Amino acid sequence: MTLTIALSKGRLLTGAEALFTKAGLAFPPQDTRRLIVEAGDLRFLFVKDMDVPVYVEYGVADAGICGSDVLFEAGSDVLVPLDLGFGRCRMVLAAHPSSGFAAAWPPTVRVATKYANVARAFFETRGLAAEIVKLQGSVEIAPGLGLADCIVDMVETGRTLRENGLDEVEEIAATSARLVVNRASDHIKRGEVAALIARLRACL
Amino acid sequence: MHMRLQLPQGASCFTFGEARARRAIEARVVSVFDGWGYDEIVPPLFDDAATFDPTLASKLYTFSGRDGTTLALRPDFTSLVAKIAAGRLRQVEAPLRLYYSGEVVRYEPPRAGRQSEFHQMGLEFLGGGGPAADVEVIAVAIECMEAAGVEDFVLALGHAGVVTALLDAAGLPVDDSGRDEALASLNRRDPIAVARALEGARGSGPARRALVGLAEDNGIRQSLDAARIACNGIESVGEALSDLESLTRTLDEAGLGARVAIDLSESRGLDYYTGLVFRIYGGGLGFDVGGGGRYDALLGRLGRPLPAIGFMLGLDRLALLVDRSGSRSPEPAVSPVVVNARTLGESVREARERRRRRERIRFEGPA
Repeated sequence: MTLTIALSKGRLLTGAEALFTKAGLAFPPQDTRRLIVEAGDLRFLFVKDMDVPVYVEYGVADAGICGSDVLFEAGSDVLVPLDLGFGRCRMVLAAHPSSGFAAAWPPTVRVATKYANVARAFFETRGLAAEIVKLQGSVEIAPGLGLADCIVDMVETGRTLRENGLDEVEEIAATSARLVVNRASDHIKRGEVAALIARLRACL
Repeated sequence: MHMRLQLPQGASCFTFGEARARRAIEARVVSVFDGWGYDEIVPPLFDDAATFDPTLASKLYTFSGRDGTTLALRPDFTSLVAKIAAGRLRQVEAPLRLYYSGEVVRYEPPRAGRQSEFHQMGLEFLGGGGPAADVEVIAVAIECMEAAGVEDFVLALGHAGVVTALLDAAGLPVDDSGRDEALASLNRRDPIAVARALEGARGSGPARRALVGLAEDNGIRQSLDAARIACNGIESVGEALSDLESLTRTLDEAGLGARVAIDLSESRGLDYYTGLVFRIYGGGLGFDVGGGGRYDALLGRLGRPLPAIGFMLGLDRLALLVDRSGSRSPEPAVSPVVVNARTLGESVREARERRRRRERIRFEGPA
């Protein structure tokens, strides 16, 4: 029996490769455009980062690596046994300094974001009504152009925020790369899954 | 007038080979229930909304009765069966071995592969207490999977008492908001979130460490011996672990040991279950096909205190699993014999003769 692992070619790939190599696990070469690659006794699927938990939830992949931001957003029913430690980022709420957001919220907040579910959940816990404008990227320009009052987005250094005239209002969550595991694989392929987790954990 | 031809989101519909395969699988599972001496109960399609488990409240499809009461389509069978056993069947002596097979309706957020309408087949052993009932239900569940034609499957066994006792000892009593968070995190095996949920809890350190360990360490979660060491000295966990120990010993002795595996992080919605809990997984399907457990407190709340244990299988998921496991359709359609005699009357006569011999026909009448 062999395990299938879902990865995304995004910002977590280098960290994933370093970790797998350190753990003595096979890792696919990146000089190929194939999206399903076998390496050693593992099979790798390359998918969009938002889709990693989906492939794992449905059992198409036994395990995968994705950011906790993606997990919050996807809300998939998967196991998350390990924090892999790399790819640290922060999910924040940001707005123009002049908006006065930190002091008082408007009755209905209009928020631009790629992370619609995260944003909705955040405003719900504050008891605020939020109108979500779902964008695919470049959300930082939305407040300046009047598309939204604020944004919910990932920041690594905060430079993009600053250069677009936004201030961080609040950190919603600290995020990092997580190992996700399918519920059924955890039992049906118990030995392989346990070995994978143990080898990765030993390298953290 | 323009009529939308799609079915509403979440509604399900099966035809031809799919419908036939489902019917065949259902027949096999039901014959296992019947073979173990269970009698069928056909509960109502709807009841007062208050009948159903409060954890399902947000998923109910409710409507108003003609007298103004709030009714709901059944979201599961267990609460209905328990209510009927405590009411209408009060005079029938326990134990009651009952099985059911039918659709339930539960609102699920729109998402591929998730229907709001699905078919459950299950049994409730009311008045079934102690190890004998636990083993019986596990054995029936295993036979159902075998009868359906699934070869690669496993029952993950846990005990509601383990998680309950640890949460109590850790200082997260029932009604503490942290408790739900800890349970949900444990269900995802997320050690970081479990630790976060326990931050404010003032209970025993070992209990808190054991809870994080259950999420973090496959050893503690999957081995009763390791769990015993990790939970040493925490009251009433030992009892639950002993229950599971003797259950697995019995299953080994019965030759069923290879079909079960321990998973102590399993709790399946705590309010309801009081003892053994399990989920059934099959190779090739990413989610469980069914599960069950012991719920000794429910009937007492309805005024007929009886221990009880039950389990159910989702027909939709089971059919998917049978299909994926590569075995042929359980009941391929026989091609029908065409009936077209000289006259319409003779054709009918021939059709009836063939039908007496149980042949499958297609009636065409004279050419």
